[in-house]
Amino acid sequence: MTASGTATLSRDADHWIGRFVAMASPCEVLIDDAPPSVARQVLDAVSSEAWRIERKFSRYRADSAVHKINESAGSETLVDDETANLLDFAATLTRLSDGAFDITSGVLRKVWTFDGGDRVPSQEQIDAVLEAIGWHKVEWRRPVLQLRTGMQIDLGGIGKEYAVDSAAELVAKIAPRLSCLINFGGDVVVRSQRTNGRPWRVGIESYARAGAAERVVQLSSGALATSGDSRRFVFHDGHRHSHILDARTGWPVRNAPHSITVAADTCTQAGTITTLAMLKGRDAEELLKASGAQYWLQ
Amino acid sequence: MKDKDNFNATLAAATCALLGSAVATPVVAQEEASRWSFDSTLLYYGESDDRVQDVSAAVSAQRDFGDERKLSATLTADTLTGASPSGAIALDRPQTFTSPSGRAVYTTSAGDVPLDDSFLDTRFALNASWTQPLARLYTFSAGLGFSTEYDYTHLGANLSLARDFNKRNTTVNAGVAWSQDDIDPVGGRPIPLSQMLDVGNNGNKLDGSESKDVLDLLLGFTQVLNRTTVLRVNYSYSDSSGYLNDPYKLLSVVDPHTGDTLSRVPVGQGPDGVYVFESRPDTRTKQSLYAEVKHAFGKPVMHFSYRYMTDDWGIDSHTGEVRLRWPLGDGYIEPQLRYYTQSAADFYHASLVDAAAVPRYASADFRLGEFDATTVGVKYGHDTASGNEWSIRAEYYQQRGSVPSEQILGNQANREQYPDLSAVIVQFGYRFKL
Repeated sequence: MTASGTATLSRDADHWIGRFVAMASPCEVLIDDAPPSVARQVLDAVSSEAWRIERKFSRYRADSAVHKINESAGSETLVDDETANLLDFAATLTRLSDGAFDITSGVLRKVWTFDGGDRVPSQEQIDAVLEAIGWHKVEWRRPVLQLRTGMQIDLGGIGKEYAVDSAAELVAKIAPRLSCLINFGGDVVVRSQRTNGRPWRVGIESYARAGAAERVVQLSSGALATSGDSRRFVFHDGHRHSHILDARTGWPVRNAPHSITVAADTCTQAGTITTLAMLKGRDAEELLKASGAQYWLQ
Repeated sequence: MKDKDNFNATLAAATCALLGSAVATPVVAQEEASRWSFDSTLLYYGESDDRVQDVSAAVSAQRDFGDERKLSATLTADTLTGASPSGAIALDRPQTFTSPSGRAVYTTSAGDVPLDDSFLDTRFALNASWTQPLARLYTFSAGLGFSTEYDYTHLGANLSLARDFNKRNTTVNAGVAWSQDDIDPVGGRPIPLSQMLDVGNNGNKLDGSESKDVLDLLLGFTQVLNRTTVLRVNYSYSDSSGYLNDPYKLLSVVDPHTGDTLSRVPVGQGPDGVYVFESRPDTRTKQSLYAEVKHAFGKPVMHFSYRYMTDDWGIDSHTGEVRLRWPLGDGYIEPQLRYYTQSAADFYHASLVDAAAVPRYASADFRLGEFDATTVGVKYGHDTASGNEWSIRAEYYQQRGSVPSEQILGNQANREQYPDLSAVIVQFGYRFKL
């Protein structure tokens, strides 16, 4: 996994397109008409921020904050403000989802492989892993965190949306009025309206046909996040299980929509609502309706 | 609902704590409801001197299935009234003709260019096409067309394939189209070069319909030259075979010295001169080369095109067109100028000369003669707040033709030989989405 790379800038009819790869996703920044130097500055700020967050919250990199926490499981770790904010946020999501969402559930990946195949772990294997899952088992007294031995945290479920909002905040400082669309693998935010008054057009990928747009959402400002199982799933007993795992049972959520897209003021809010709705399975739409947010299901 | 308020308040507070001072802008999002789009037009075409008037209404619907897959269908209804020059020459005396049906006569005043008997025709046409990507960089489309009017049925099909190259800056496309037209003229098909007969005598008319097949091949090339300029070049080849005559067109048979149409005494009702029906070859091969450049000068866009066409009937034509699309408020204004010129078909004869050898092919149809035409027009388009567009276009068409001097005999020199034509075109359009 590379935590930095190159960001390329090209020109379309009335805007700039910046592209790079971060957090295992194709990322792009569409920048409204601006001088080339400004466009480059915006792209560099966005890509640097994406790579910074990728490095900081990577589970794999020896120098990452998350790696450091996981390595010290069993003993106390002092975390910085940004990490603490994310942990607080994650704890709130766990509470809102009655434990279905849990940043300690990443260890389930040891037994579940979502590669479109049909390998399913045994209940014994799952039960063994569940021993190491549960935010209530964690000692969290900001800024000190102590995981039990064998536990790990994974901020992947919220990191990408957070990175999108964080990058947007940086752009707002560099060029306050400039409209740009920040898209990290389908999580999108727009802060300022375009000068021509037209919205940005965001295609929502069809879960059934990769690369094909199921619908187009016109986004003037605010954020969109999509959660879906287009490429990550497993077949079991003739069922297609999504990659969304319920931290309480260790099993994938059943009967969830294939894909949920939510519009909200920030990408973090939109992403949270999609994730919590997915975890509701068949009742996803109830939560979406209750949230009052605009949403689209597939 | 308390839970709902709780959920939203908790989430909002948590987000605010996470993102710190970040001031988010409220979300403004809406799904693009452009699955169906419609283009409707109402067109009026009116020729001067009460000749052809056409009112045409068309509705085109396009369904976007995403992923560049599109279905489109167009329904057109046309009502045509009026008359067009029959091919017979003007004389200093009135002329009487048998109508195409063979059941009545009609008369043209002295000095006037004879026109066809007045007609009223209604045409319906339906076209449908499907476009989709075939593989990366390949786009495929297929279409079907059908139209019907009282003496004519058209059925057509087409296929085309485009391939993008060079980061989609270059597109090469190839297409093939085929059509079959069935013609069942009122009163039967006249035998070519046979003489117009009296009312009630259908001895020179054949019953039943005839058909015409047309095969078109197209090879096109589009190149983005730079950010503001696009070049398109098309070559097309068209091969028609079958019944290519216009069953209602005539030639006057004239005296070699006076140039006047030979007189004839009808038995009962019938023509008072000698007129024969035209005769065209039963094949026609056309080739054309078309080039178009579009260039944006900032917001305004200039469009220039030129077409050269040549066929084996001896007609060569040149068409040049310039349009300039100029933004204006919430819309644009687009003046347009088009010039067209063509040479005459080898078998174009303003009239046939008595006693001279009868040619195998002859037509006095002015559309096969030498002429040039100028069109000036302007279009105004307006984008509505809801993203729809309405437009109005007005054009003035002026056509001037000439007859080769060696074909002008005796008294003909004092009369109008090639009737000039002018026409007005007005079109309203409204494009909307559902």
